[in-house]
Amino acid sequence: MTMDNRLTHMRVMKTPKSVDLSITNRCNLRCSYCYHFTSESESGTDLPTQEWLRFFEELNRCAVMDVTIAGGEPFMREDLKELIEGVVRNRMRFSILSNGTLITDEMAAFIAATGRCNSVQISIDGSFPGSHDAFRGEGNFARAVAGLKHLQNHHIPVTVRVTIHRHNVSDLEEIARFLLEELKLPGFSTNAASYAGLCRTFSDEVQLTVDERSLAMETLLRLDNKYEGRIGAQAGPLAEARYWLEMERARKENRDPMTDCGYLRSCGGGFSKMAVRADGEMVPCTQMSHIELGRINRDDLAEVWITHSELIRLRDRRDISLNDFESCQECEYIPYCRGYCPAMAYTIMGQENHPSPDACLKLFLEAGGRLPEQV
Amino acid sequence: MKYDNKPLADPLLVLREEFDDWAILFDPDTGDSFGLNPVSVFIFKHLDGRHTLQSIMTELLDKCEDAPDDAEQYVRDFIDDLVERGFAGYALGAEVNAL
Repeated sequence: MTMDNRLTHMRVMKTPKSVDLSITNRCNLRCSYCYHFTSESESGTDLPTQEWLRFFEELNRCAVMDVTIAGGEPFMREDLKELIEGVVRNRMRFSILSNGTLITDEMAAFIAATGRCNSVQISIDGSFPGSHDAFRGEGNFARAVAGLKHLQNHHIPVTVRVTIHRHNVSDLEEIARFLLEELKLPGFSTNAASYAGLCRTFSDEVQLTVDERSLAMETLLRLDNKYEGRIGAQAGPLAEARYWLEMERARKENRDPMTDCGYLRSCGGGFSKMAVRADGEMVPCTQMSHIELGRINRDDLAEVWITHSELIRLRDRRDISLNDFESCQECEYIPYCRGYCPAMAYTIMGQENHPSPDACLKLFLEAGGRLPEQV
Repeated sequence: MKYDNKPLADPLLVLREEFDDWAILFDPDTGDSFGLNPVSVFIFKHLDGRHTLQSIMTELLDKCEDAPDDAEQYVRDFIDDLVERGFAGYALGAEVNAL
């Protein structure tokens, strides 16, 4: 099989369709569960403007369709407008991930005027200052909400990400009411403080216990039902509740294996998307910044994408059976399990090609966790 | 204003070609994207303001085996559709040279 045929067979794109850009290591906050600080993605000096602008020209030649601009806190960069103009000039759309606290009315007007913004995601973790500011610092709830309102005033699609932790797990009902009814957002997404970056230092204070995780799953399923599907999740308690309930039903009914299950196939990263650290190092994913693939403007993006041995190794992860792992032996969920996030597997186990224990249903139940009643 | 019949694709559109010769046509201003089959990709890449419909047809038929009788109509419809969507226009005759 030729390389082209093999890549087609694996559904790898010729170049990444999307690229995540950590444009700065700097942030005005030090949230206790930030995945960036103290992780490998915190990478020294920020690239100068011209380096990014030159790279955007390469993204244009590679027909990259959109970029996600993140950090650190992207609004810390004084040249952010110039960078966004570079993105627009090079035929791409963009999204921004932000804590919201630095977004002014004037900046929101600028973003709206580009006509190319897919969304700006703001982190809001509470319905009142206490629960948001507990880990993000005093005054930052009000600043984040102000930033969000500037975006809304300019009709920019705003999304909110709620990171669930020990101080807001009892506030979920009010958070949903605040975001969906008071702020009138079309929806919001959730995850949970996970064992990465600064959270590793503050794990005991921040991360949900098994009981709190059970509570969060039950509450979020109920709220999602109440608000008719307006709460989303790709990870964390709500995603786990949905997926684990499906796994449990499949196990009880002794169903045939589910699509892509039984192997390490949970992650689509490396097939359509990659990332760049703030120092210009290409990496497979923001959460896997320890795997260095080459430097922008020195190494050819398309060549790195197709030929780099580490990306190939991550793509080949799909062929690794869960039966190969001692921790999975005799697990009844194997035919319904995809092994979960490789970045979390690396952070916890020291290797990407391993199931992540963080999202393992069997371990959750063994630790006393309970699945919610079906809504 | 007088136009000739040399279609020209909007240079702001992004054509993402994949290994299977299919492609995505992406409009960054709207975020809309469309799947193009290999024949459509061939045609789209010839909308450079220098090829006429006839010259595109000639090159296409050179590449294809067993082209259907209505191939020209297909190409014409495809280009008309692109023009209607604002994805292509017609080059000014005086400014470009026909092949």
